[in-house]
Amino acid sequence: MSHFLDRLRYFSQPREAFAGGHGELRTENRQWEDGYRNRWQHDKIVRSTHGVNCTGSCSWKIYVKGGVVTWETQQTDYPRTRAGMPNHEPRGCSRGASYSWYLYSANRLKYPMVRGHLLRRWREARKTMQPVEAWAAICADPAAKDYKAARGLGGFARVRWDEALEIIAAANVHTVKQHGPDRVVGFSPIPAMSMVSYASGARYLSLIGGTLLSFYDWYCDLPPSSPQTWGEQTDVPESADWYNSGYIIAWGSNVPQTRTPDAHFFVEARYNGTQVVAITPDYSEVAKLSDLWLHPKQGTDAALAMAMGHVILREFFLDRQAEYFQDYCRRYTDLPLLVTLRRDGARWVPDRYLRASDFADALGSPERAEWKTVGFDADGKPVVPHGSIGFRWPGKDSADHGKWNLEQKSPDGREIALALTQIDRRDDVLDVAFPYFGGTPHAHFPHNDQDGDVLLRRVPARKLQTRGGEVMVATAFDLLCAHYGLDRGLGGGCAASYADDVPYTPAWQQAITGVPAEQAIAVARAFASNAEKTRGRSMVIIGAGMNHWFHQDMNYRSIINILMLCGTVGISGGGWAHYVGQEKLRPQTGWTVLAFALDWVRPPRQMNGTSFFYAHSDQWRYEKLDVDELLSPLAPRGKYGRALIDCNVRAERMGWLPSAPQLGRNPLEVARAAERSGMNPKDYVVTALKSGDLRLACEDPDNPANFPRNLFIWRSNLFGSSGKGHEYFLRHFLGTRHGLQGKDLGEDGGHKPEEVAWHTPAPEGKLDLVVTLDFRMSTSCLYSDVVLPTASWYEKNDLNTSDMHPFIHPLSAAVDPVYESKSDWEIFKAIAKRFSELAPGHLGVERDVVLTPILHDTPGEIAQPFEVRDWKKGECDLVPGVTAPNITLVERDYPATYARFTALGPLLDKLGNGGKGIAWNTEEEVHGLAELNYTVADGPAKGRPRIDSDIDAAEVILHLAPETNGHVAVKAWAALSKITGRDHTHLARAREDEKIRFRDIQAQPRKIISSPTWSGIESEHVSYNAGYTNVHELIPWRTLSGRQQFYQDHPWLRDFGEGFALYRPPIDTRTVAPLAGKRGNGHPEIVLNFITPHQKWGIHSTYTDNLIMLTLSRGGPIVWISEVDARRAGIADNDWIELYNVNGALTARAVVSQRVHEGMCLMYHAQEKIVNVPGSEITGMRGGIHNSVTRAVIKPTHMIGGYAQLSYGFNYYGTVGSNRDEFVIVRKMAKVDWMDRAQRAAREAQLHAHRA
Amino acid sequence: MRADHATLLRALSALLAYPDAELRAALPEIAAAVRGASALDAAARDDLVALAEEIAGLDALEAETRYVDLFDRGRTTSLNLFEHVHGDGRERGPAMLELRQRYLDAGLEPRGGELPDHLPVLLEYLSCRDEAEMREMLGDCAHILRALGNTLLRRGSRYAAVPAALLALADAPGLDPDAPTPPPEDIDRTWEERPAFEAPMPDDPRPPRRAS
Repeated sequence: MSHFLDRLRYFSQPREAFAGGHGELRTENRQWEDGYRNRWQHDKIVRSTHGVNCTGSCSWKIYVKGGVVTWETQQTDYPRTRAGMPNHEPRGCSRGASYSWYLYSANRLKYPMVRGHLLRRWREARKTMQPVEAWAAICADPAAKDYKAARGLGGFARVRWDEALEIIAAANVHTVKQHGPDRVVGFSPIPAMSMVSYASGARYLSLIGGTLLSFYDWYCDLPPSSPQTWGEQTDVPESADWYNSGYIIAWGSNVPQTRTPDAHFFVEARYNGTQVVAITPDYSEVAKLSDLWLHPKQGTDAALAMAMGHVILREFFLDRQAEYFQDYCRRYTDLPLLVTLRRDGARWVPDRYLRASDFADALGSPERAEWKTVGFDADGKPVVPHGSIGFRWPGKDSADHGKWNLEQKSPDGREIALALTQIDRRDDVLDVAFPYFGGTPHAHFPHNDQDGDVLLRRVPARKLQTRGGEVMVATAFDLLCAHYGLDRGLGGGCAASYADDVPYTPAWQQAITGVPAEQAIAVARAFASNAEKTRGRSMVIIGAGMNHWFHQDMNYRSIINILMLCGTVGISGGGWAHYVGQEKLRPQTGWTVLAFALDWVRPPRQMNGTSFFYAHSDQWRYEKLDVDELLSPLAPRGKYGRALIDCNVRAERMGWLPSAPQLGRNPLEVARAAERSGMNPKDYVVTALKSGDLRLACEDPDNPANFPRNLFIWRSNLFGSSGKGHEYFLRHFLGTRHGLQGKDLGEDGGHKPEEVAWHTPAPEGKLDLVVTLDFRMSTSCLYSDVVLPTASWYEKNDLNTSDMHPFIHPLSAAVDPVYESKSDWEIFKAIAKRFSELAPGHLGVERDVVLTPILHDTPGEIAQPFEVRDWKKGECDLVPGVTAPNITLVERDYPATYARFTALGPLLDKLGNGGKGIAWNTEEEVHGLAELNYTVADGPAKGRPRIDSDIDAAEVILHLAPETNGHVAVKAWAALSKITGRDHTHLARAREDEKIRFRDIQAQPRKIISSPTWSGIESEHVSYNAGYTNVHELIPWRTLSGRQQFYQDHPWLRDFGEGFALYRPPIDTRTVAPLAGKRGNGHPEIVLNFITPHQKWGIHSTYTDNLIMLTLSRGGPIVWISEVDARRAGIADNDWIELYNVNGALTARAVVSQRVHEGMCLMYHAQEKIVNVPGSEITGMRGGIHNSVTRAVIKPTHMIGGYAQLSYGFNYYGTVGSNRDEFVIVRKMAKVDWMDRAQRAAREAQLHAHRA
Repeated sequence: MRADHATLLRALSALLAYPDAELRAALPEIAAAVRGASALDAAARDDLVALAEEIAGLDALEAETRYVDLFDRGRTTSLNLFEHVHGDGRERGPAMLELRQRYLDAGLEPRGGELPDHLPVLLEYLSCRDEAEMREMLGDCAHILRALGNTLLRRGSRYAAVPAALLALADAPGLDPDAPTPPPEDIDRTWEERPAFEAPMPDDPRPPRRAS
C-alpha cells in the first residue's frame, strides 16, 4: 500500500502539532492586538526634521492620524554610504524624539499677542488716527514708555492677526520714514536649520532696507582662527569621515552628548582601530568613550597644544625631516614664505611678509605686487609663487589670469621648490623678540614666570636688497621654530630638552595646565606618527569648550598648527573638525538670493551682531578691560587708546566692520539732501563725513537719533539663551527691570572712550517695538511687545542641512499649523503686504544711502596692504571701499514690497549669481523657475517667477544652488576654472543633469552635488572633508598668501601679540571683587570660573521646558560643582545656590559631582527663566539665567578688515561674544523664595479692590 | 427647546472661553442662563454670576490679559484636560483621537482651532448629549476638574466657580478651599520615578508610572 489516498494533495493541515509536539497553530480572536494597533495607528507618515541648531539634521518619520501628530520615530532610509563605510542611520536623539510634545503643549503659543499696556495705547490712538500716525503719536508721548517698563511682566492679550500685523507694519513705516530703514533690525540665527524661514524675515528686511544681525560670531561659534588661517568661515569634515581617521583627539568637544546622532561613527572608528583621545577639563561623556583622557585646567589648552607643537617640530622636522610633512608644508602652507625683520634697538622683531612690490622689478610680477608673497626657491633666490591673493583679482588683460592656483610655479611658468629653512644659507643669526604672555599672573590660573614678557630667540636670517634698501628676512618656518623655543644649535635661550622649563616645552606647559609632560609628549608623538604613516589621517574634533574663551583664537591656532605641520588638512580622515553650530548651509548661493533679496536690490544691510549688541545694550559703558592689557609687550602702550569700543569705532570708520545704524541721520534724508545739493550722493556723503557735518552713528550710540527702533526676533531666543549680558539687555535695550549690580564708567569714575560720546543718564529702552515669532513662550517672548505664534517643525515646509552629513533634509507640514499659528514665510509675507498697504502717503519710491564694509571674496578685499591709516585722523584720504566703507545709492519701491517679496526679481537675469568670489550666468535657472512656480500675472512684478508658498521659496533655493542643481554646479566650477587656470568641472560632470527638488528630498534624503562654494567634495570615493579641493585641485586658500597661514602679519595682530599662535591666559573681567564679602547671607562664599557647555537635556534653550527632558534632568536650573568646592562652601547636592557678580545673579540647584574640576562650575547652556526658578537674594527678582552673570567683551584683532582673508563677511569675521573667562561668587541660599506669594497677594489685593 | 443641562453647559463653556468682545456682549445672556439653572444650588449659581459680572465689570483689556495670564501660560491651569493626564506622554495623541472620534460619532465635526480636549469644547459637546453621558464624562474627569478648580481657588480666581459647578453636575465631591498648596519641596517627590508595579491611587490624577 502506498497510502496515497491517506494523504491530502491539495491541503496541508496546519493544526497538526510540529516541533515534536511543542508547537501548534491556532486560530482565535486577535482583537486584543487592537490595543497596540490603535496606540500606533496613523493615516500617514511625513518626513520632517528639527530646526534647532543642533547640527543633527536627522530625518524623522512623523505619524499623523485624524489631523493629529501622534508620535515620531527615526527614519532609516538613508542612501547607503558606500562599501567599507558604516551607514548614516539611524540618526536622532532623545531630544528630537520628544519634540511632538511641543505641538500641543500648554507652553505653546497659540494666538498673536500684544502686551496690554501697548495695546491700550494703540487702540486709543487708533480711534482717531490712521495706523502710521497712531504709532508716531505713541512714540512721541513720553508717558508711553510705561509699556517698555512692563516688558517681561506678563499682561499679554490675544489679538487678531490683522491687528498685530497693522501695529508692526505701522511701526516699520514710521521708523523707516522718521528714523531710517537701518533702524529696523532683525535677528535670526543659523539659516541652515530652516532656510526658508530665515529667508522670510531676511527678505522682508532686505527689501525695506532694514539691518540683519549676524549670529555665528555673536554665539561665539565662529572661530576667527579659521578666517585667519584659511580665509574660510568654517569648513569641516562630515562625521562619517571620522571613520577614515587613524587618530582622533576630541578636544573640548563632547561628541556623545552634543553630536548624539553622529557619535556612532566615533565608536565605529574605534572598532576600525582608530586611537581616540579626549581632552576636556571635566570627566565628560567623551572622556568615558576614549582611550586616554587628558584634563588640562580649563582655559589653558593652548599651552598644551603649544607643547605638542614643540614635540612635533623637534621630532619630525628637526631631528628628522619627515618627507610627507616637509612636502605638505612647502606646498600648502606659508612656512616657506619670507617675513621681514624689523630692528628694535638691539633686537629684531618679526614684521610683515615680504612682498613682490618690495623688489625693484617686482620679481617679474608687477600687477598688485604688494599683495604677492615671496619665498626662496631651492637655489636660494627669491621667487613669487602662484596663488597669493595678488593673483586672485587680475584686471581684464592681465598676465596674471590663471595663476591663482597652488601649482609650484612662478609667474613665468618655471617649476619651483620653495625652501622651508635658510639655516644653511643664512647671512646672519639675529636675536628676534617674541611676546610671552604665560608669565602674566592671574588670581585663578597658574602662570609660568620666565623673567619678563619678551623671549629672545636666535633666528637664521637672509639679507635682501629691496626698494627700501637692505632688509633682513627669515622664513616663517625658521621663525616658528624659534618661537616654539627649539634648539637648532644657534645658541640663545631655547630648550635643550623637553624637561627644560622653557616656553613651549612639555615641562613648561605642565606648570600651567597640570597635564603631565609625558602625556603631552606621548599624544603629540602618536598623533604625528599616525599622520606620517597614513599621509595625514589624524584629526582633531574641537568645539565650544575651546572656542568660547576670550583668546579662543590662540586655543585654535595652536592646535591648527599641529594639524598643518602633520599635513592633515584637506586629507580624508584628517584635519580640523570644528563643530559648533549648524553653520553649513549647503545650497548657500541659491539661498542668499532669496534671503537678502539680491534679485531686487543690492547690497543688503548686514551687521555683525556682537559689536551691535555691545554698543546698543550699552555693555561698553561698563567695560573694565583696558586695551593696553591685551597689547603685545613689543607694541607701544597707548597706541590704541584704552577703550575697546574705540577700536570698534575706528574699524567701522575704516570700512573694516559694518555699522548699524549707519549714519547719524536717516539715510533717506541723506539721499534727498545729496539730490538737493546737486552732488553725486557718494561724493556728498564723503564730503559731509570729512567735514563732520555727517557722522557715523557708531560714534554716538546712546543718542536717540541713533537708536535701533524696531527689532524682529525669529527662530531665536535672543534675550534668553543668546543674550550675553542679559541684564544689560534688560536695562538699556529694553528699558525694564534688571538685576545689574555693577556701576558704569560714569558712576565709578573710570576712563571713558575717546571716540564715543558719553550721555548721562544712560539710555533705557532704546527699542520702540520688539516682535518675536516663536512656537513656545521663551524668555525672549516674555520680553517682547508683540508675540506671533509660528508654525513648528511639523507644520511648515522648509529645508535643513548640516555640516555633519551631506544630505539635504526637508521640514514638512505633517499637519496644518495648530491654533492661529502660521509659518514664518506666511507671517513675513503678511507683514510685507500690510506694510505695502500702509506705505503710500508716507513712503513711495525712495533712495537710500547704504554703507557696506570692505568685503571678503570681492576685489575690494585687497584694500590696505601695509600700514593702518585712519582718514579721520588725517592719515589718509577718505576713499570709499579702500580707506572707508563703500557707499551705494539704492532705490526702494516701498509700496511694491509685497509684490517683490512674492516674486523673483530681475537683477538675477542682469547680474547673474555667485558667491565666494565666483560668478555665473543664471538666466536659464530663472526660466526654469518661471516654469516650475509659474509667473506673476500683474502688478509691479508682472511676468516674474512666483514665490508664493514656502515650497516655491524652497524651489528657488534648490534651483539656483550648485549643490542641488547639477547644471549650476558645472557652471560654477567652470567659472572657478577660469580663475585658477585648471579644469575643475569633472567634479560635477557626473551629476550635471540632476536637479534636486523639494518633493525629491521628501521622498528620501539626497546627497548634495560638489560645488566650489565649499572646499570639500561629495563623491562615491571620499567623504566630505574641508580643504580637499585646495589640496587635490590646487585651489588656493582664500588668504593673503593663498596658503594656510601659520603667521598673521597684519599690524594689529602683531601689535596684539598674535603674529604666531601662543598661550594667553584668560582675561580678568573684574566682575567679582566689587561684591566679594559685601552681600553676606550667613553662608560661605567661594569664587569659581563659570563654564556653560552644551547640554544633554536640551538644545540651547529648546527642550529645557519640555517635560520629558526635565524629567530626565533635575526639573529646573542646575549648576555642577566639584566635591571639594562644595565642601568649602558647605553645599550639599541638590541645595539651592546662588551665583552672582557685578553683571547680575542666578539661582539654581547644586549638582555636586566628582566629574567637575575644582575651581570651576558648569551651568549647561541654556535653561529658561520660566521653569522652576526661584527669586534671587541678590537682585530681589526672579532667578536670572546663565547669561545674567555674563557680559560680552570684544577683541580688537577681530575687527581687522580690508586685508585679504581679514576682510568682513556676514558671519565670517568680526567680534565674537566670548563668555568663558567669567568668574562668579557661589554660595548656598539662605531662603528660597518662589515669589508666588507676593504675586498672589497682589492679585488678591486687586480682587478686593474690585469687590469694594 | 434645549434641555436645561444643555443651556447651562453652553453657558459654562462660554464662561471659560476667551473674554473677547463677542463673549462679553453675551454675558447677560450667560448670566441669565446660569440664574435659571435648576441643576445647581443657589451658592453655585451666585458664584457663576459673580464671575460673569466680574468679567463684564472689568475693563476689556484687563479681562483679556488676566485670562491669558491664567490660562495661556503654564500647565497647572491649562484648560486642555490631557495636559493634566498625559502631559508629555505619547498616549496623548491616541487619547485626543479617541475623543475626536467620539465627537464625530455624535455627528459633531470639530471646527475652530482648539484641540478636542479643550474643556469648553468638551462642554459644548456634552451640551448636545443627554444628561447621563454628561454625568459620566464629567465624572470621569472629576479629578482634573477638582485639581484645576483648587488651583484657581488658591489663586483667588472667580473662574473656580466653573469647575465647581461641573463637579456638582457630576454629583462628584466639590472643591476644597482648604486644599493645601503643595509646598515647593514636594516637587522633588512628585517628579520621582515611581516603582514599576505600584498600583495607582484611586484619586490620583496621575497615570501609573508617570510623573506629573
